Amino acid sequence: MSEQLTAHAAGTRSLRRTLMSFGRALLLAAPGAVMLCGWQFASGRLVREAYISKPTDIARRLYELFATGEIWPSLKVTGQELVLSYVIGVASGLLIGYALGRSPRVARIVEPYVMAFYGIPKIALAPLFIIWFGIGIWSKVVLAGTMVFFLVFYNVYAGVRAIDREVVNLALVLGANERQLSRHIYLPAAAPFLLMGMRMAIPYAVIGVIVGEFTSSTAGLGLFINYASSTYDPASVFAGIFILLAFVMIMNALASRLERRLLRWRPSAQGVVQEAT
Amino acid sequence: MNVVDDPGAQNALSFNAIRQSFPGLAGEAPLPVLSDISFHVPRGRFVSVIGPSGCGKSTLIQMAAGLLRPTGGRVFHNGVNITGVNRTIGFVPQQAQLLPWKTMIENVEFPLLLRGVKPAERRARAQEAIDKVDLSGFESHYSHQLSGGMQKRVSIARMLVYKPDTILMDEPFGALDAQTRMVMQHDLQVMLASEGASVLFVTHDITEAVMLSDSVIIMSRRPARVLAEVSIDLPRPRDMFEPHTIPGFAEAYDRVWSIFRSELNVKRAA
Repeated sequence: MSEQLTAHAAGTRSLRRTLMSFGRALLLAAPGAVMLCGWQFASGRLVREAYISKPTDIARRLYELFATGEIWPSLKVTGQELVLSYVIGVASGLLIGYALGRSPRVARIVEPYVMAFYGIPKIALAPLFIIWFGIGIWSKVVLAGTMVFFLVFYNVYAGVRAIDREVVNLALVLGANERQLSRHIYLPAAAPFLLMGMRMAIPYAVIGVIVGEFTSSTAGLGLFINYASSTYDPASVFAGIFILLAFVMIMNALASRLERRLLRWRPSAQGVVQEAT
Repeated sequence: MNVVDDPGAQNALSFNAIRQSFPGLAGEAPLPVLSDISFHVPRGRFVSVIGPSGCGKSTLIQMAAGLLRPTGGRVFHNGVNITGVNRTIGFVPQQAQLLPWKTMIENVEFPLLLRGVKPAERRARAQEAIDKVDLSGFESHYSHQLSGGMQKRVSIARMLVYKPDTILMDEPFGALDAQTRMVMQHDLQVMLASEGASVLFVTHDITEAVMLSDSVIIMSRRPARVLAEVSIDLPRPRDMFEPHTIPGFAEAYDRVWSIFRSELNVKRAA
């Protein structure tokens, strides 16, 4: 009897939870829907269609691009550039940020130089990178990778330096050697900072790749958008932009999953975990 | 009090003519903190150090842990001069300092993990230590899910798990509320009775020092020296919850307080 009751209660609870998450999704989608409707209405009435296209045209164009396969080569090139620049930027940022964070003496000498390079607008280097690395994917990988590198580097560096000296001392007395300090103290303590840097770097990777392709390229979404805008084809421009948006959203979702896995122990992440189970 | 050069093996810890000064601010003279401190922690005994705040009590703990080299003098652990990080000593810091990314039992296992103990044995020994501090059932909790008193128990379990013969405790109960503190003091007494370890305990609470200790070292203001060593001969076990009912407690407290008060600038009531 009581078992039945609890089973029943659990049933209503899960139903309520489904309804609630459905309501939340609706609430989340509402502003986007309003914006698209407003856009559709304004196009041709308030603003000339040639300037802003309209959502239905963009959707049709997107379908066309994927149905005919016209977009695949561009997607493949830009995707490659994004993944390569992001992976290389994150890996080198983590490695160097961690190394400098652990060796303050070297950091004191190197930091002003890194700071100076950080101050250079990387976009201004795009033409140079084209000259150095050619108009293929590598000039874009280097440009976007540099932007990713600095964001990850600074976050990891700050994270390692922020570690409480007393925790390190305690670990030493408890018996930790250098390798164990890295594994059990420094790296886990720097993980939240690494993930923050990785999140911040996602849009910059896209910016770097697209600017590189705008500057000079033989393929890619940037080239596609650039070409569309120079031929007065706003529907294609927006189609390209929506594809970039999808890229960013996918990368963000992946970063969130990684965050939930690595930062399970954090009070803020805890609620999410409990909700998911 | 006669301090010999070689403390021999009868002392768990020996502080011999310790001096310590810290670099002053730019252009200023170094700040002397400890001047000629000598005392012992005999094997199996509980010794407290009390003194006014800022007198350098915690500095002594740092030295025994090998985290700080004294400016002058030497510290011995079981007759061995401490020259680097002391990995054989038990350390309970002021704050619990649990690793937030490890669960409770992983925190307790941590010293064993660092020593390369096999997982199965690690689990078993950690479980034993957790039972000893009365925390079973919370093994998979993270530290932010534990109360301050529970975190303190975990940090004690983490120290007990590798069975050190000598234990350093740096104002371990200072941040706890009064009730929790009494319970912890009681439990500490019970746990230590079965371990037989030597303890160096730093506090600024006279009642705590008298109730827990076999002997109390009283330090002066900065630059600190040892004012007196008062031995406490109250029978054990002592009832931590009602110190005033223990015969001899008032006298012992008075002996410590009469020396300690000279350092506090207490205005006499008219």
